[in-house]
Amino acid sequence: MASAEYRRPWFHRYTGLPGELRRRWRGMDDRKRFQAGIVLRVLLLAVLIVIGWPLALLVAILFAVKYLLPRVPEPWSRFNRFVTPGIILLVAVTYPFFVEGLGSMRLLGDYPGLDTAVIMGVYAMMAVGLNIVVGYAGLLDLGYVAFYAMGAYTAAWFASVQFAHRNVHFGAVGVGSNTPGIHISIWLLLIVAGIFTLVIGVLIGLPTLRLRGDYLAIVTLGFGEILPQVARNGDNLGGFNLTNGPNGITPIDAPGFGSVGGKIGLPENYLAVSNRNEIYFWTVLVLVILTIFVSLRLRDSRLGRAWIAIREDETAAAAMGVPLMRTKTWAYATGAFIGGVAGAYFAAFKSSTFPGDFSFNISAFILSMVILGGMGNVWGVVFGGAFLAFLNQQGLSDIGHSINQTFGTSFDVPKYQFGIYGLIIVAVMLIRPEGLIPSSRRQRELHEGVADTPLYDVQK
Amino acid sequence: MATDASRQQTARLRSLGAVGVVPWIGRLLVLLLLAWLAVNLYKTPSDFVAVGLEGLTLGLVYGLIALGYSLVYGILELINFAHGDVFMLGSWISLAVGAHTLNLGADSSGLAVIGGLVLTLLAAAAFCGVLNVTIERVAYRPLRNAPRLAPLITAIGMSFILQDVGLNRLGPAPVSIPNILPRGTVFSIGGNIYRWDSLIVAVSTVPVLLLLVWLVQRTRQGRAMRAVAQDQEAAAMMGINVNRIISFTFLIAGALAGVAGLLYALYSTNIQFDQGFTLGLIAFTAAVLGGIGNLPGAVLGAVIIGLIQQFNEGLSWHAPGSDWTQSIVFAILILILVFRPEGLLGERTPEGG
Amino acid sequence: MSKKHSLAALVGITAALALLAAGCGGGGGGKSGGNVSALPASSCSDIFYEGGGDPDYLIASDLPLQGSGRTQTVQMTEAVKFVLKQHNFKAGKYKVGYQSCDDATAQAGKWDSAKCSSNANAYAGNKSVVGVIGTFNSGCAEIIIPVLNRAADGPVAMVSPANTYVGLTHGGPGTAAGEPDKYYPTGQRNYIRIVAADDFQGAADAINAKNLGLKKVYILNDKEAYGLGVATDFKNSVTQLGLSVAGFGAWNGKASSYTGLATKIKQSGADSVFVGGLVCENGGKLIKDLRSVLGDSVTLLAPDGFTPISAVVDGAGKAAEGLYVSVAGQPNENLGVTGKKFVKDFGAQIGGEKPDPYAAYAGQSAEVLLKAIETSDGSRKSVATQLLQTKVTDGIIGTFTINEKGDTDANPVTQYLIKNGKQTTFKVITPPTSLVKGGA
Repeated sequence: MASAEYRRPWFHRYTGLPGELRRRWRGMDDRKRFQAGIVLRVLLLAVLIVIGWPLALLVAILFAVKYLLPRVPEPWSRFNRFVTPGIILLVAVTYPFFVEGLGSMRLLGDYPGLDTAVIMGVYAMMAVGLNIVVGYAGLLDLGYVAFYAMGAYTAAWFASVQFAHRNVHFGAVGVGSNTPGIHISIWLLLIVAGIFTLVIGVLIGLPTLRLRGDYLAIVTLGFGEILPQVARNGDNLGGFNLTNGPNGITPIDAPGFGSVGGKIGLPENYLAVSNRNEIYFWTVLVLVILTIFVSLRLRDSRLGRAWIAIREDETAAAAMGVPLMRTKTWAYATGAFIGGVAGAYFAAFKSSTFPGDFSFNISAFILSMVILGGMGNVWGVVFGGAFLAFLNQQGLSDIGHSINQTFGTSFDVPKYQFGIYGLIIVAVMLIRPEGLIPSSRRQRELHEGVADTPLYDVQK
Repeated sequence: MATDASRQQTARLRSLGAVGVVPWIGRLLVLLLLAWLAVNLYKTPSDFVAVGLEGLTLGLVYGLIALGYSLVYGILELINFAHGDVFMLGSWISLAVGAHTLNLGADSSGLAVIGGLVLTLLAAAAFCGVLNVTIERVAYRPLRNAPRLAPLITAIGMSFILQDVGLNRLGPAPVSIPNILPRGTVFSIGGNIYRWDSLIVAVSTVPVLLLLVWLVQRTRQGRAMRAVAQDQEAAAMMGINVNRIISFTFLIAGALAGVAGLLYALYSTNIQFDQGFTLGLIAFTAAVLGGIGNLPGAVLGAVIIGLIQQFNEGLSWHAPGSDWTQSIVFAILILILVFRPEGLLGERTPEGG
Repeated sequence: MSKKHSLAALVGITAALALLAAGCGGGGGGKSGGNVSALPASSCSDIFYEGGGDPDYLIASDLPLQGSGRTQTVQMTEAVKFVLKQHNFKAGKYKVGYQSCDDATAQAGKWDSAKCSSNANAYAGNKSVVGVIGTFNSGCAEIIIPVLNRAADGPVAMVSPANTYVGLTHGGPGTAAGEPDKYYPTGQRNYIRIVAADDFQGAADAINAKNLGLKKVYILNDKEAYGLGVATDFKNSVTQLGLSVAGFGAWNGKASSYTGLATKIKQSGADSVFVGGLVCENGGKLIKDLRSVLGDSVTLLAPDGFTPISAVVDGAGKAAEGLYVSVAGQPNENLGVTGKKFVKDFGAQIGGEKPDPYAAYAGQSAEVLLKAIETSDGSRKSVATQLLQTKVTDGIIGTFTINEKGDTDANPVTQYLIKNGKQTTFKVITPPTSLVKGGA
C-alpha cells in the first residue's frame, strides 16, 4: 500500500506509532523478533502484575506453556493441543471457588462476579456465533441483535404465562401444574430457539445474501431495526398479544433438571438452590464450550474451508466450484443458531425479555467483540466477548471509581462511562489492529506483509 | 461486469425461474406504492402536499449528513460511525457560538441574524472539519493497512467518545434553541402552513451539494480524490500525496457535518447529545440507498427516507402510522436493495451486483 | 544471547515481579463498612453514612443514572441522601447506610435488563440490605421484585417512587396475564409504590378533559412501558366518560420532526391531544411541532412524565403555553409542614431550584422505608411486613395510606397549567373508584 514513502512531519511519529512499530517488526530477523517478543511479553506481564497478580500469573503460565510446548518430546507432543485449552478450562471451572479470595484488581476493580461472569459467557457465545458470519465467511452483519431477540422471545413465549389461554406443561420446573401458559423445559427451548432462529436466519439470508459487502451490512442492519420494533408493537398484532409490547415478558421459568435430574445430583430448580449463580455460571460454561467446539469443528470442515475461501476471494471461490449462496446461507444459519441459543439462555437467566434490550448498540457491541478479540480466531473472539461484556457490566464503573480514589477526584462516574469505553476500544484497536488474539493466518499477513489485501477488500 | 461467479449464479437462479419473476414483483410493489400515494393524494390533497414538503425538507437535512458519509466511504470504504457525532458537536458549536456568544435570538434584527449565522456557520464548519481530520489522523490512519473492519471499530469507539463529550457539554436532556430564523408563513395549502425556516433550511442544501459536486468533478483536488478512491497505490505512483488527499476529504466531510449541525439546529430547534447516533444511522442508510460513494445518490436516498417517514406518519388513508416508521423505512430499503443491489444511482460493480 | 538465557531472564523477571506484586497486593480489598458489607462498586456508589459508628443495615436505591433520564434520577438520589441526613442516619435504634445503584449501562444508555437482574441478585444476596428504593422504570421493577421476593430470610422490602405500571400491584385493563401474582412467588407482598398507578392518573386526566369541554381527543404514547400504560388507561377512561378517541398512536423519541404526525392529527379533527410519555423522549420538540401545525385552539394534555415542568418549558419554549400537566398528589401549596419544608430546604440544597416531583417521591420513599425499618424487629421479613402497613400523615407528599396490595390511597391528582412559562395550579381532581377499573 501507499502508506510509506512521503516525508512525515515530526508529530506523526506519535500519532502513527503502532504502524511504525509494525514496520520495524517486519524488518527484523527471526532472532531479533524473538527477543523483541520477549521484551513485549515481559512488559505486558509487568502491566498485569500492577493490575493484579492472579491475572499476571495466569498469563505467565500461558506464555510459559506456549514456549515449552514445541520442546515437548515426541510421544507426548500429541497432547500438546489440549494443554492450553485445558489450563483455561481448569481455571474457568474452578473460578467460583476462588473468586471470593482474589481481592480486586488495580484500575479494573473487582474480578468479575459470578453474575457478571454469566453475562460474559452469554456474550462470548454470541461473539462466537457472529464470528462464523463475519470472521469465517466474511459477511459483515450489523444486525446480529435480531437473532438474540428471536432466541430470547422463543424462550419467553414457551416458558412463561404469556399465552395464558393455553395450558401446556412439559418438563418445566418450579411451575405449578395449574399455572396457565406454556411451560416447556428450558433445555428443550434452547434447541427450539436455536432452530427457530436458524429458520429466521435462512429466511432473511435467502433474498439478501446475494448482496455483497456493505450493501449486505445495511440490509442486516435493517432487519436488526425491524425486529425490535415488531417486538415493541407486538402487544397488538391484529388484536393478538404476541410479545406484550414495551412491558416485556417476565418472569421466565428457571432452568432445572427436575426430580429426575435431582436423583443424579443435578440441581432440580436453579432458583431453589443456594448457589444459584454458580449453577448458572457452570451451565453457561458448558454452553460456551459446546459453542467453541462446534465452531472449531466447523472451521476445519469442508464447509469451513469454503467459508474462508469466500472470505478471501468470492469470485475465485465460486470459480473453484464453491456454491456461494448455499455456503453463505449456512454461515448465516449457523451464526443465527448460536445467537438464538445464547439469547434464550440469557432471557432465562434474566428471567425477562424487553424490546428495549435489542438496540443497534448491541449489534455494534457484539461486532466490536469479534473484531477486537481477533476476527476468525475463536479464542480471541471468546476473550473479546468476555472482556467487553465485563467492561460494560462492571469494569467501566470500577475504572471510574479507581480513578476517583487514586487521584482524589470526585467526578460522576456514570457520566463518563461511555467515553471510557470508547477510549478503551480505540486504544486496543490501535495497539493490536489484528485483534487481541488474532488468527495465525491474519497475524502473518499483517506482520510479514505476505498479502496486503485487507479483508473484505473486493477486487476492483 | 458479470464475473464467472455471478454468471453461474444467475444461471442457477434463472433455471429456477427466479430471474424472470423478481423484477416483476419489484414493479408490482412500486405500482402498489404509487397507487397508495395516489389514493391519498386524491382523498386529502392539501395534507399530501404539506406532508410531502415536510418530508422533502427533512430529507434534505438528512442529505447533508449523508453527504459526509458518502465522501468518506467513497475514498476509504469506511463506514465512519463517528460522522454523526461530529455532526452533533456541530450543533453544539452552533448553539455555543450562535446563541450564547453572539446572542442571536428570535428578536435579533435581520442583518444581525445573517451576519451572526455566517459567523456561526464558519465556526461550526471549521471546528468540525478540524475535528474530523484529527479523528482520521489519530484513529484511522494508523490502521490503513489493518483488516478493513479494524477502523470500523475505532470509528464506533470515537463515536462513543464524542457522544460522551456531547453528554457532558449539552447535558442529558434535549436543549432548546431560540427561533433564529423567521417562522412566518411562506404559503398555506388548505390550512397547512409551510414556514420560512423550513424553506431556508431546505434551500440551503442545494448550493452545498452543487459546490461539492463541482469540487469533486472539476477541481484538481477532486480529481486527486477520485484517483485515490479508485486505487490508492496507483494514485501514489502518479505523484498524489494519498494521506493529504484523505485528510482533505475528511476536512470537507467534517465541514459538511458542521454545516449540517447548524442547519439541523435551526430546523429542529432542539438538539440532544445522542442525535448524531440516530441521524447518523439514517444518513448512512441514505448513502447506501443512493449508491455508495455517489453524492447526488446520497441526497436522493435521504430525501426518499424523509418522504417515507413523513408520508407514513402524516397520511390518513391506510398508512401504518408512526408506530411502524422505522420498520417501513428499513423494509423499503431492503426491498430496494434486493431489487436494485447497486443502490438507486450506483453503478453495477462486482461489489454491488 | 541464546534463547535459553532469555528464557531464564524472563522467568527471573516474572518471579521478581510476582513477588513484588504479592507484596503490594491487588489494591482495594476489604470493603466492609463495619457491620455491613457493601454492594459491589460496579453498580453502586460507596456507602453514604455520616452517623456515629458503623451502620447496622443498608438501603439501596436502584435508578438509571446514565442516558437522558439522568436529570431526574440524580436529583432523586440527592433527595434520599437529604432525608437520611435529616434522620441522622437512624431508623429508630438501627443505624442505616445508603448506596445509590445504577441500573443503566453504557451500551444501553438507559436501564438495562441484565443490569437490573444483576443488581437484584446483589441486593438479595447481601444480608445487610433490608430495603430497596426504586425502580424508576416499571420494566426493571418487573425483574427485581420477584428476585427480592424470593430472597433468603424472607422477602426484601422495596418501595418505588416512580413505577406507575398497573400490573405491578393489581390487575385490570391493560395488564398482562398472571399479573400481579407472578411477581410475588412466595405469596407475601414486599413491594409498595407511593405514586398513584397509571389507572388513577389516566382517570383524573380524562375527567380534566371532560371538564374542559373537550369532545374528541387524539392519544399519543412514546412506546415505552410508562407512556403506553398511561395512554391506555387514559383511553379507557375517556371512552367511559363519553369522549371520542380520534386516534391512538406512537411518537418516536428519536425522530427529528413530528410535523407529519401533527398533520395527521389535524386531519382527524381532534380538538385535543394527550401526550402519554416522558418529556425526555424528545417531548419538547413534539409539543413545538404539535403547536405549530395544530395552532393554539387545540388543547394539549400531558401526564407526570412531563415533569419537571421547567424541563418542558426549557424544551418547548413558548409552545408549552397552555399545556396541562397532571401530577399525582397535592400541589406544593396544599402540602403540610413537612412537605413545604422539604421543598424549601431541599430546593436550597440543589441550588434554589424547585425540586422535581420525583425527587419529592424519592425523599418520601426514603422516609417510608426508614419508618418500616424502625418499627421492624430488624429482619428482612419484618421490614417488608411493616412496609405494607405504611401510613403517612403530613409527609413530604402529603397524607396517605398504603393498602394490602402496595398501592397508595393518595388519590388526588393535581392538574397544572403552564402560563407565561410558569406552572400554575389549575385544579385538584380525585377520580372516583368507579372510573378506576380494578382500582385499589
